[in-house]
Amino acid sequence: MSRGNSELDRLRAGRTELENHYIDELVSGNVSRRDFLRRGSMIGMSSTLLGAILAACGSSSSKTASSSAAGTTSTSSGPVTKGGTLRIGAVAPAAAVNPLTVSDAGGLLMLNQTGEFLIFDSNLKLELQPMLALSWSPNTDGSVWTFKLRPNVTFHNGAAMTADDVVYTFQQLSDPKNASNALSAFAGVLTPSGVKATDPMTVEFTLEAPNGNFPYLVSSDNYNAIIVPKGTDFTKWQSTFVGTGAFKLGKYTQGVGASFVPNPNYWGTKALLDSTTFNFYMSQAPMILALQGNSVDVIAQFTPAGAAAILNSPSYKIIKLPSANHRELSMRNDIAPFTDPRVRQAVAYTLDRPGAVAALLSGDGSVANDYPFGPRFKSTDTSVPQRTQNISMAKQLLAAAGHPDGFSTSLKTEIYQEIPQLAQVIVEDAAKAGIKISPTVETQTLYYGKSTFGNSDWLDGTMSLVDYGDRGAPNVYLTAPLTSAGTWNAARFKNKTYDGLVKQYVAALDLQMQQQIAGKIENLLLQETPIVYPYWIDGLTASTPNVNGLNPTSIAQLYLNTAYKSA
Amino acid sequence: MNMVRFILKRLGLALITLWILSVIVFLLGQVLPSDPGRSILGPLAAPSAVHALDHQLGVDKPILTQYWNWISNFPGTSYQYQAPIGPILGPALLRSLKLAIFALIILVPLGIVGGVVSALNAGKPIDRTISVVGQTMLTVPEFVSGIVLIVVFAVALGWLPVTATAPPGSGFFTQIKYLILPVIPLVMVLFGYIARMARVGTIEALQSDYARTATLKGLPRGVMIRRHVLRNSLLPTITVIATQTGYLIGGLVVVETLFRYQGVGLLTYNAATQHDIPMLEACVLTIGVVYMVVTLLADILFSLLNPRIRLRAAE
Repeated sequence: MSRGNSELDRLRAGRTELENHYIDELVSGNVSRRDFLRRGSMIGMSSTLLGAILAACGSSSSKTASSSAAGTTSTSSGPVTKGGTLRIGAVAPAAAVNPLTVSDAGGLLMLNQTGEFLIFDSNLKLELQPMLALSWSPNTDGSVWTFKLRPNVTFHNGAAMTADDVVYTFQQLSDPKNASNALSAFAGVLTPSGVKATDPMTVEFTLEAPNGNFPYLVSSDNYNAIIVPKGTDFTKWQSTFVGTGAFKLGKYTQGVGASFVPNPNYWGTKALLDSTTFNFYMSQAPMILALQGNSVDVIAQFTPAGAAAILNSPSYKIIKLPSANHRELSMRNDIAPFTDPRVRQAVAYTLDRPGAVAALLSGDGSVANDYPFGPRFKSTDTSVPQRTQNISMAKQLLAAAGHPDGFSTSLKTEIYQEIPQLAQVIVEDAAKAGIKISPTVETQTLYYGKSTFGNSDWLDGTMSLVDYGDRGAPNVYLTAPLTSAGTWNAARFKNKTYDGLVKQYVAALDLQMQQQIAGKIENLLLQETPIVYPYWIDGLTASTPNVNGLNPTSIAQLYLNTAYKSA
Repeated sequence: MNMVRFILKRLGLALITLWILSVIVFLLGQVLPSDPGRSILGPLAAPSAVHALDHQLGVDKPILTQYWNWISNFPGTSYQYQAPIGPILGPALLRSLKLAIFALIILVPLGIVGGVVSALNAGKPIDRTISVVGQTMLTVPEFVSGIVLIVVFAVALGWLPVTATAPPGSGFFTQIKYLILPVIPLVMVLFGYIARMARVGTIEALQSDYARTATLKGLPRGVMIRRHVLRNSLLPTITVIATQTGYLIGGLVVVETLFRYQGVGLLTYNAATQHDIPMLEACVLTIGVVYMVVTLLADILFSLLNPRIRLRAAE
């Protein structure tokens, strides 16, 4: 142990205050090794360093953060075979593959085939891994983040990647004058003037407000943020797909498919396959049939609804990833009877969450409590008790709120994946406590409308059931739908204490601090229940048994440089 | 000469119809909910980004300006794909034509033979069988028959591919192999319809005075049917086939979706749902043109088979 401590002292020398704080937390047992790896990688400690610290602390396990961009997956088996073409079934990109504007699963899957991010958020390992940035670190309050770039990276057009390219990319993404889909993530966090190169290999981000989770916003979670060469015309990007990735464009045909070939100058693990071919499908059902009919080897991402045929079959490999993909049932806090928190709690108590996970997700998900912290996030305070179905409690709460015989209300929702069925479950469960909900199920276009207050059934419905896609950090879920000024606050929830807690949470750099605030937020939201959160949905990728080394993320990206087909 | 006048007159009418069609589609596009910027960026995009994109696309301009911009740059640029429409629509149209022609090659002889056999055996078990089978298939939607076919022939037996799109560079017969499964649901849906028309036409012709005269003057039954009955009985069937061709070009959304076939039907459907007005316009007009050309051809064929039409047109 004495050798360990002197080794640790050596490692501590020259570390920042925050890094040393994490080491203290690890030594004192306040954070687990897994959390230490995750948090350490988030503030930019290298994998070698993290491994050395764990070793010095007497950890015998050799598990360290991988520094390769695309780590191996848990599905590898047999000897690695080189060559061949991998055929992937994917949802057709809904619009042009433009890094600025892409907003759908099909489009972001295309971006990641040739494009790379500063950081890779590995769902398989639950940690941030260096990609085009080698390291990153915040200043003392988390308002300035500095990224050291990976040297000797070239774009597919032959140009070397430098800080100028990174600055250009993030200035375009954060410019309110641009049609950038990343603006919803960067609002209040980053403006174009906050990005600058301090030397050819260093980029500094000066934020609008301190942000402890900023690395997630420049990671693969912010799927628009692939690094492109300075001066790129985004509207023409899809003719070149120029990036830094292990694959470069073969051919892209709108609505039909795409093919990619290995990039011989790739900085990392070079592709094992000779090529990849993507076949686009308009919906999930034909994609699953294509896997069954051996027309494709892999389905990039699918949902459990309607996929029982492959989920329950031993003939397919399924990769399951914990994801923050979820549904939110909001209740208008400004419209009676939902002005009374007891009424909102009553609705929450009627819901049979484990039943819904089993019936609607084939069990590929986990129950949620009534706040946006879940298994995907390390900052979740797991000591807060789970809310379960309790009809008599619901009836008591309704009686106390002056509705002993229940009441009638309406629910607006969208045609998307299993949501119409979930609406039905909510209606039936609520009826058990005398709450009569009449649901309206609309197309997404109609439901979202203009996505502004007064012009959207999503934001204006008395009750409204909507989908939220996966994110690496809960910041967006905590702000947009719940803060007083939140742009997607369908519940019209306005609570000063909550707003203050969220501000503290967003700024907190330290995991313990984040968990502490998370606990307060969780209890406050359980008390107020502006929104019911039924469940978290796993990210699913399927392949035939001979496919190995897939590296998917829960937001539908799929890195393929380590993929191979065994004989 | 009369024929030329007949065709010119029809072409003139077709152009006016197309223009009216373009205005109607454009106006319908304006009243659809949502906007292109929102469709492209998704429901969660910042309003400022949506405004910026709408401005780039020019959809915030006055309606007349938009209409003029579109018509003067026809077919223009797709909002959704941010790419010229021609190179997307052209191959899609070819693919749809390929599927439609293949379907027609199987469907027309099958339907006509079925209808004529029915008519010649009217009231007998074979007539009832053909009618019942045809009517039953008519009521089975393509998404049902399509999925059953895929599950049986592609997934369980593995005889035919799941998709309709053959790999690039495939030969003629490989392409045909890929189109077999998608064509069957179409043939199933349309067979009953065409067989019924052919049956009614044949029965009518068989009961006509000229058929009786031909029989009475001692023509063998086979010759009488070939020379006199079929020629007359098929007239209404041609019209039906022409109308169905329009459907085969543009209305195949279900089959095209199911079999991953990027034809005009799918393109039109996506353009409508994504609020991609230039693409929608171009698709609808293209389908309109195809429809009119086919109807025109049918009319010409009709008039060649039936001199009364030619005479009336010349008057």
